[in-house]
Amino acid sequence: MPRKQRFDRSRTCVKCKVNLGNLVIRHAVYCKECFTPLIASRFRHAFEPHINLVPAGPRRGLLKPSGDLLIGFSGGLGSTVLLDLVHRTYIGRTFRKEVRGGKEHPRNDRVWTNIRVCYVDISDAFPEMENRTYSVQKAVETYEDFEFVLVRLQDAFDLRWWEKVSGNSSTLSSSLGIDLSSEDLLLSSTSPPDSTPVSAMRTYLTSLPTLTAIHSTISTLIRLLLLYTARSTRSSHVVLGTSLTSLSISLISSISQGGGFVVPQTVQEEWVPAHIEGHPESRAGKGVVRLLRPLREVGMKECTAWAWWNQLPIPGKQRIPVPRHTIGDLTKDFIVGLEKDYPSTVSTIAKTVGKLAPKGEAGRTCAMCELPAQSVVQEWKSRISIRSFTGLDPSGTDASNSLAPFLCYSCHTTLTSRSSRGTGLPKAGGIPALVAPPVWSQARLAQKDHADAQLGTNSLDGLQDRGPEIWETKSLKPDEMKAVVDEFIL
Amino acid sequence: MAPRSCALCNDARAILKRPKTGQQICKDCFFKVFETEVHNTITEANLFKPGDRVAIGASGGKDSTVLAYVMKTLNERYHYDLELFLLSIDEGITGYRDDSLETVKRNQEQYDMPLKILSYDELYGWTMDRIVSTIGKKNNCTFCGVFRRQALDRGATALHVDHIVTGHNADDIAETVLMNIMRGDIARLGRCTAICTKGEDTIRRSKPFKYAYEKEIVMYAYFKKLDYFSTECIYSPDAYRGHARAFLKDLEAARPSAIIDIIHSGEAFEVKEEIKATQKVQQTCKRCGYMSSNDLCKACTLLEGLERGMSAAVITDRARRKLEAEGPTPADLRTIPFFHPPTASASPAVEVESTA
Repeated sequence: MPRKQRFDRSRTCVKCKVNLGNLVIRHAVYCKECFTPLIASRFRHAFEPHINLVPAGPRRGLLKPSGDLLIGFSGGLGSTVLLDLVHRTYIGRTFRKEVRGGKEHPRNDRVWTNIRVCYVDISDAFPEMENRTYSVQKAVETYEDFEFVLVRLQDAFDLRWWEKVSGNSSTLSSSLGIDLSSEDLLLSSTSPPDSTPVSAMRTYLTSLPTLTAIHSTISTLIRLLLLYTARSTRSSHVVLGTSLTSLSISLISSISQGGGFVVPQTVQEEWVPAHIEGHPESRAGKGVVRLLRPLREVGMKECTAWAWWNQLPIPGKQRIPVPRHTIGDLTKDFIVGLEKDYPSTVSTIAKTVGKLAPKGEAGRTCAMCELPAQSVVQEWKSRISIRSFTGLDPSGTDASNSLAPFLCYSCHTTLTSRSSRGTGLPKAGGIPALVAPPVWSQARLAQKDHADAQLGTNSLDGLQDRGPEIWETKSLKPDEMKAVVDEFIL
Repeated sequence: MAPRSCALCNDARAILKRPKTGQQICKDCFFKVFETEVHNTITEANLFKPGDRVAIGASGGKDSTVLAYVMKTLNERYHYDLELFLLSIDEGITGYRDDSLETVKRNQEQYDMPLKILSYDELYGWTMDRIVSTIGKKNNCTFCGVFRRQALDRGATALHVDHIVTGHNADDIAETVLMNIMRGDIARLGRCTAICTKGEDTIRRSKPFKYAYEKEIVMYAYFKKLDYFSTECIYSPDAYRGHARAFLKDLEAARPSAIIDIIHSGEAFEVKEEIKATQKVQQTCKRCGYMSSNDLCKACTLLEGLERGMSAAVITDRARRKLEAEGPTPADLRTIPFFHPPTASASPAVEVESTA
């Protein structure tokens, strides 16, 4: 049987119509010379309209970001290509070549005053992981004018890091722990952790109910570490090397984990830290960090070709040493496999999801992932899958003592949804009764406790922890009692 | 290891692990939670009102058999005051539908419900066996699906019912959400998670098993010893849906809540307003009066393609234009009888096969 043609018309490049093509991108043939400007323009097209605080219209003016740029670098293919494209476009040869109208013309100012490359090292998450920081740093240092910033995954459990990035330590004087064995995710006060951030992180990760939960939690932690780092370095933009293929995979994976409400944020996000939300500064657009994916129109195949033709060294992304039975890995295998038979699948997924908007208003932001959340999570779940005959609240506990109302559907599912397979991981130090959530969640919950206390609506548990003076018991003398009710006595 | 007691009643011995929650529970508690969840789905969506005439789309398979049983049970237990009918479509597939229609006929006797059978042959003049022998096995699910939807509505009109309930389960809906995203079918994506759909002038259609896992439906049928037919259609090589189904099963194995999580996602988003404005407005088919997005409904287009010997070319809009370019429709072409949508004053007198 003759082999099916992989391109629609001819072997000649569809752009210059002269050269013999070198690469087939979804049935269209491109030569190497035309491929470079094609990718560079797709990158700029997806990135530059979002650089100014107010998105640019069709007539693009000067690019004036309100802060610096932070590149989230994982060491993988996409972020290596992104690093190269950012350097070429805003620092390197191409940028210098485009000088027009004299050196002093504002158009020829550098768009970004500082560009930082942030690498989140996840090697301490599991004992058997290899630390690749050195090779990643080397790869970043091959480019001039990039500042390397190292963040470690355990920083998400480190109070000193939190003080540094938030500039606020007072909110975390006491520590809260979550009981992951209940659907309500009950909260209790514990003494401030004496363990190291690494052990707190490992306890948290190994206490999660499924491998899927471990993967998605690590992604959430990385995302927020990048966002908080961006804010603390006065960066207005964070860019990630998510290619079209990876974007489609994360969209389907997020939808499969109940993240339908936040599909727009999976593509692009405007983030304000939960602890300053509603602050006048954030309302004016200052302090808002914009998270973008400038490679969202460039497929994995094009990224590979770019890296290959430009001989970019790829340090490699760190793999989490757990079996590939997670929703993320299954989705990746499925989409990549489907793309072989149906080459337009990835772009169709991204385009379709681009036509969707969340239904209804977001009630609040989630205390764990800081994304918009719908107000009713548990109620919906208990209506459609009955877990107890005693009503909506199986344990009959006080809702004010529960983490569940502060979470989005996805994070609640991550922390509570179980599988008969389990994680198969040894629990660090046995099964702990309470696990400490990441520092930003601690800060958010402490803020809520503080507000409750001011309103006098704090839970019994919380009040008892504050010492005996709140529950003062004394017998009243008859004249004192009379004084209280005096005006009602005729 | 000592036997575990039921996680719900803490009394009887747990004999099953619920696919949906992973809880180990006893048989009676399983029946109770399964039925209560369906009842919750029905009441919270206000699906019915007392006195409604409801047709159960019955294929003889597990979903519709369990649906008929559960609808009858809930109708009696919670006094819905519904008049229930069985409505079955005979696609004309020898060796598949013949056997499953026998099951439906047994259901009619067991549940004491009137049954109406409407055949493709009667309505369209074509059986699926004949269609497949003409067009081959590729794309025949398109014909069957389009013809079945219209046949169900027409059967329901003949029964003068207000409502059709179908046995679509949570797995079907989650799979459809994924498939519509992957093939960019934004119109269907917007409506596929709705529990109840109603086209202009057509009968309401609902899915009371929207949140019921396929595994639990099978488990329910097994423990209740219900009579159902379990063979797959002999003409169902829908490769794309097959991929999506296999993927969903993998996701369910990784985390059982994935099915419900996908449905939740589908309910949490909607098509952007500016996109909705570009979608086609629903109208009625100029030839048969059924609802349609074009001048001709899909069933009429497919039937015309079959009749004119251009069946393989009428799956897409482009092919339909090609069909139109081939010349005008012959005057003696076989067409579908004109559809008269139900009205409030319609007489409830219907001709149905009598219960035994």
